[in-house]
Amino acid sequence: MAELVIEGLTKRFGGVTAVDDVSLHVADGEFVTLLGPSGCGKSTTLAAVAGLDRADGGRITVGDRVYFDAARGIYLPPEARSCGLVFQSYALWPHMTVFDNVVFPLTLRKVSAADRRRRVMEVLELVEMAPYAARYPHELSGGQQQRVALARTLVYHPAILLLDEPLSNLDAKLRDRARAWLAELRTRLHLTTIYVTHDQIEALSLSDRIVVMNGGRIAQIGTPQDIYERPADPFVADFIGTTNFLPARVAGASAGRAQLELDDGQRLEVVAARPAEVGSRVTIAFRPEQMHVAPPGPADAAGSVLNTRVTSRSYVGGNWQVGLDLAGAVLRLETRQPPPEDVLRLWLPHAGGILFRGVADAAA
Amino acid sequence: MRTSVAEAPPTPSAFPREIPIQYGTAILVLVLVVAPLLPVLLQSLLDGALYEDSYTFTLGNFAKLARTDGFGQVLINSVVLAGLTTLVAQGIGTLAAILFGRTDLPLARLMGELFLWPLYLSALVLSFGWYAVYGPAGYFTQIWDSLLGEAPWTLYSLGGMAVIAGVSQAPLAYIYCLSSATITDPSLEEAARVSGSGTFRTLWRITLPLMKPAIAYSAVLNFTVGLELLSIPLIFGDPAGITVLTTFLFNNGISSPRPDHGLVATAAALMLVVVCFLVWLQGRMLGNTRRFITLGGKASRPRPFRLGVLRWPLFILAALYILAAVIAPLAVLVLRAFTSFLSPMIPLGEVLTLANFVTIFDYPVYARSVWNSLIVSIVGGALATALVGLIAVIVHRSEFRFRGALSYLALFPRAVPGVVAGIGFFYAFALVPGLGSLRNSIWILVIAFTMRFIPAGIGAVAPMLLQVSHDLDRAARVQGADWWTTSRSIMLPLMRPALVGCFTILFISFFKEYATAIFLFAPGSEVIGTTLLQLWVQGEVGLVAALATIQVAVIALCIAAVRGIFGVKLHG
Ligand SMILES: Nc1ncnc2c1ncn2[C@@H]1O[C@H](COP(=O)(O)OP(=O)(O)O)[C@@H](O)[C@H]1O
Ligand SMILES: [Mg+2]
Repeated sequence: MAELVIEGLTKRFGGVTAVDDVSLHVADGEFVTLLGPSGCGKSTTLAAVAGLDRADGGRITVGDRVYFDAARGIYLPPEARSCGLVFQSYALWPHMTVFDNVVFPLTLRKVSAADRRRRVMEVLELVEMAPYAARYPHELSGGQQQRVALARTLVYHPAILLLDEPLSNLDAKLRDRARAWLAELRTRLHLTTIYVTHDQIEALSLSDRIVVMNGGRIAQIGTPQDIYERPADPFVADFIGTTNFLPARVAGASAGRAQLELDDGQRLEVVAARPAEVGSRVTIAFRPEQMHVAPPGPADAAGSVLNTRVTSRSYVGGNWQVGLDLAGAVLRLETRQPPPEDVLRLWLPHAGGILFRGVADAAA
Repeated sequence: MRTSVAEAPPTPSAFPREIPIQYGTAILVLVLVVAPLLPVLLQSLLDGALYEDSYTFTLGNFAKLARTDGFGQVLINSVVLAGLTTLVAQGIGTLAAILFGRTDLPLARLMGELFLWPLYLSALVLSFGWYAVYGPAGYFTQIWDSLLGEAPWTLYSLGGMAVIAGVSQAPLAYIYCLSSATITDPSLEEAARVSGSGTFRTLWRITLPLMKPAIAYSAVLNFTVGLELLSIPLIFGDPAGITVLTTFLFNNGISSPRPDHGLVATAAALMLVVVCFLVWLQGRMLGNTRRFITLGGKASRPRPFRLGVLRWPLFILAALYILAAVIAPLAVLVLRAFTSFLSPMIPLGEVLTLANFVTIFDYPVYARSVWNSLIVSIVGGALATALVGLIAVIVHRSEFRFRGALSYLALFPRAVPGVVAGIGFFYAFALVPGLGSLRNSIWILVIAFTMRFIPAGIGAVAPMLLQVSHDLDRAARVQGADWWTTSRSIMLPLMRPALVGCFTILFISFFKEYATAIFLFAPGSEVIGTTLLQLWVQGEVGLVAALATIQVAVIALCIAAVRGIFGVKLHG
């Protein structure tokens, strides 16, 4: 059983710093997801843990074994690390059957022939692939290949499990099923796992904790709930869910509340955890599900009502998607009723919006 | 499974195996490449012979070479021959690429195939073929003479030699032009055609300019091959008193009873420097050319140009070329092998015989050269393929510290002309004590040929290796396989088709190689190429034809087998 500690990990490719001073502590049996847009350094981090790339700086330990320590010049080659890595491409060996693929790591470990057979069949049962043992990889569907790739890493009981976008090559329907299956498997296995994805749904539904990465750095570490409800910055907020950003100025502040004035003079009130300085520029973010069309009449006690201009409206099976212009900011809203064609009265809650200092670039 | 206790990784071997394997391979390649070069360069700077006890360093050899009578003419001849050869090869190759690759010429595919044949044959065999058809007593020459009076051409001239060499090298230009962007990416032309440009206008204004980088690159390549050419100047140049660098080296280094080693080595060094420069130039041009060449090509064949009324006239012209330049020399050579005397004046039935082949297999020297060639090509080709596979895996799939240097080193023999390699290995084996037994065996040929053709082998293996996803070997490493196990169990099986292609190319190259061999063979270690030249000198035209026929037949069989069984493409 092993906990994984990454300290100050840095990896450069020429002039590009792909991973920049990343530190992360994954507890024994914990399932941590690296989440971020393509090119943010997730795979590079994983490769450094597995030993496929030699990092330029930092330290990686698993349990009491030092995998890598730049300062002491320690670098274990991948074959000495006992990591299980499932590749985005699955990397099944095309010239071997499913059985031969899965038995390979056991043969390397000089497991007796009888034990090998038993263990391979056991793990193929676990991933529900036992009937396909004699097939070649190209005779399997994407979802089946992914299970075999997982079986091939589970069969030798790795100290930690690393999964690089294992679902990204599946089509949408299959992906939902595979995700549910993975979630179920993970509670059974209880392995220390790093899971890499750019899909926030996968991250939110599978993880104990999420590490959001941006440009090689860690933007935020937290539980799925933390990340979703209290994003640390506009980047995280934007990435974790479709979010609407409103630039504004603080017009007034009182105990735990702030009055914001938009560029066109309209005002709204929000609950602010941190006191905001009157006169400063801020950004307030709302999720689509937090906003709705205001009923006729004055605003209720829980929210503000603002006039917005409808810029686009399209019917998408049961719902309307509406594009709104509010003081120059672009908002997206979903509603069941057909929206008006020109002016829409928008209800925004006092609580639940997230207030950031400054003007968010993600809102641009 | 449920309470999975992490399992220790497989116990590593006490000593990392990759270290001896990788360093061993690198040192082997280093020795192979340096062995022939060092003695040549050293000898060019010494006043005495390398094997003598005392000598001093000097630059005198260079001055002496410059003063050698006629050496200026030798240089001029070399450049003129290589230049004319390039001109012929580029002209024919480019035209063929457009005609066979881009137009609705009838039977374009078949003719494209036939056009490539000279690539598989040695220039030596091709020369004999041309001699048999267009030589002074050649089949076609006799027909011409009897109908129209004395034939106005001669092969015993720079122009004549350039035509033969150009025909044998035109496939190189053809292949590069075929893979250039304009042939594989029709959208460029289609844009021009849509805007109302006619067929020939489009060809001239769009297709040809877009092929320029491919033409330029293959031109430098052909110029280099033209400089290194030995057989054609030896057969047609020497009798006419036309000497080029290669024949100068051959005559002064081998045929001469008291060779002037300093002079030979200096000329060889000079040639080495020039070819190095040309190969460097090729490398630079290829870098610039890459963006014009689409590798692999598209699945869809572009819509061919309509030739209109010129379709059949051009077809007849192309067919005549194939007939005259490829089929006739081969056919007459084979015919000559099966006859005691060949002339259009004598009915074929009266002269048909198997005597030439009987003689070849009756005389141990001749028969031996066939078996030696086969052994050198099969065993040597297999050994060289193993070495090439190892080099490719180390260069492309390992963390070996000097893999960049190894890659450079392994490709360096491209810049070493066969003649220079022959002289160099000759010196090397004479100098190092204890190699005497090796020197008189076919293994010296295996060693020299291997060095010569490592780059060709790598060219066959590397592209395929680059297509194999890195994830496949990385997966094995993560699971606990060290580099060597990964290379053996994962990479080797995946590389099998590439290695088959590599072996075929090396087999053919070894089988037809003669330029290196004539400096190195000894009684007992003759190969087909060296015996061919000896028989030629003795005037045994029938035996030459028979032996050449055997060479052609073996190569054709090999190509057919590999194509049929493995479906491996050998070029392009
Ligand atoms: N082998 C490499 N050579 C050069 N740059 C690389 C290499 N691998 C990754 N990079 C760069 O490092 C950055 C991070 O890549 P990666 O870790 O693959 O991102 P992710 O997996 O998050 O999509 C990218 O900018 C990528 O271009
Ligand atoms: Mg990635």
